[in-house]
Amino acid sequence: MVNDSGQLYTMEGIAAGLVMLLTAYLILSTTSIYTPGDTHIPDMQLEQLGSDVLAMMDTPDLEGGENQLVNFINAGDGNGFRESFLEYCNATTSGKPDTLHMSANVTYRGEDDQIKEHLLVGPDETWTGRESAVRVTRWVQLDQQSTRGDPYRSRAQAVLVEVLLWRA
Amino acid sequence: MVALIAVASMVPGLLAGLQSSGIDYDAVAYRTGVILAEDPGWPVDPPWEMKDQYHKDEIERMGLAVSNETPNILLSTKIEKFFNTSFFDPEDYRSKVIFGEIPYSYNITLRSLDWTYNHKVGQETPEGYGYIRRVVKIKEPSVAVIDEGFRNQYTISPGDNSTTRTFTVRLDFSRLINLSIDPAYRIDPRTEPVNITITDFSEYLNKTSTPPIENATLKDVTFWGGSLSFPFPYDTENPDLYTLSLDGNPYDLKPEAPVESNISLVLKPAATSLFPLDQNSILDILFTFEDTDYPHTNITGIHYYDYNTTNVTRPALKPAVLEVAIW
Repeated sequence: MVNDSGQLYTMEGIAAGLVMLLTAYLILSTTSIYTPGDTHIPDMQLEQLGSDVLAMMDTPDLEGGENQLVNFINAGDGNGFRESFLEYCNATTSGKPDTLHMSANVTYRGEDDQIKEHLLVGPDETWTGRESAVRVTRWVQLDQQSTRGDPYRSRAQAVLVEVLLWRA
Repeated sequence: MVALIAVASMVPGLLAGLQSSGIDYDAVAYRTGVILAEDPGWPVDPPWEMKDQYHKDEIERMGLAVSNETPNILLSTKIEKFFNTSFFDPEDYRSKVIFGEIPYSYNITLRSLDWTYNHKVGQETPEGYGYIRRVVKIKEPSVAVIDEGFRNQYTISPGDNSTTRTFTVRLDFSRLINLSIDPAYRIDPRTEPVNITITDFSEYLNKTSTPPIENATLKDVTFWGGSLSFPFPYDTENPDLYTLSLDGNPYDLKPEAPVESNISLVLKPAATSLFPLDQNSILDILFTFEDTDYPHTNITGIHYYDYNTTNVTRPALKPAVLEVAIW
């Protein structure tokens, strides 16, 4: 028997379809939500600062002049390296200096071409707060130098300086 | 139902807008820091920092780096120009270094660790702003100091009775613009001032006469390329082009004035750009001394403005810190 109920079901179906399409359209067109990025940004700032400092320590002030970074590594002068690094790192244009801390090690080729690590600056007794520590690196070319002792010996080689940097 | 869905879908968008603003400012500060520390700006030849008030619109981007090969090495002349707030207004900083459609507020500061540079533009920072700090080194212009140590080299031979004395400082561009020298240490008169200082000038005076004379007359300072004298506004004092001081007093390049102990000439890159020079040219700066009665000075010779460390002193790069805050 034919009556009007089929027509009503069809209209309801079409209306429901339209509502679903509209809903999908509205949801998809909504601005996507950013994940909170409050740990990545300070990471990027610290990384940029650390690699700037290493680059500037690797740049002599005069043409053919002393290269601070190479000198500290050659002499194994961890204290000098830390003082110089933190002086650059904590300097601000006004107000109080920053409170960054660091440790550093050097990866080099030892005897028998073994890859070894040397702790140049040990970590201090501070803890990082909310922000995580970052690692910055720079390859440094050491020239042949007969007077250089352990651990790098006299051979010319490229060593990798790794600095761990954190705010306390 | 539809209205409810519409409202519900707008709420996260509203919150996302508020949350993302902090991230945005840090990114803008980072970008501004990169432009300032790693980019020489645009145009480069002639460099943007030489543009005057009438050509300010030609400046597209203000970067402070010496060249694009030397990130974090900043040029002192670019720094002086950049922090000149009587030349640039806030809109210039927004459109030439910060960029973006939003009118950001900014605070850009630069300080050398020895405090000789301490510059600032922008407002005081509020709570919560985008921030980046860069560690840089500042390159300063070279100086030729001619003191009594050069006396034997630059004194005329006895028996010469001409009344005019000329002393030449020679800039050989083919020696100076030497591509094998790192741009961080290069002497480039096209971007940096040339400084010539004659100290101990009294040691070059003609001491044999009685009574002993106390000064000599500097007739003029002229610029030559080979045997041609360059046209130049010699008789107008113009600190944008040059400064000449005799015993501490400023003069134009035709002083006709007595000098006792000290001559100092600073030739700015804006002046060098007026001369028809290329990478193989030679620029001679001639100091002519003339006195009516007899020569009052014995100075003569050619001083080369080059990479010889006894002729020209190149200052050490100065460590500095650059901070950019955007909100």
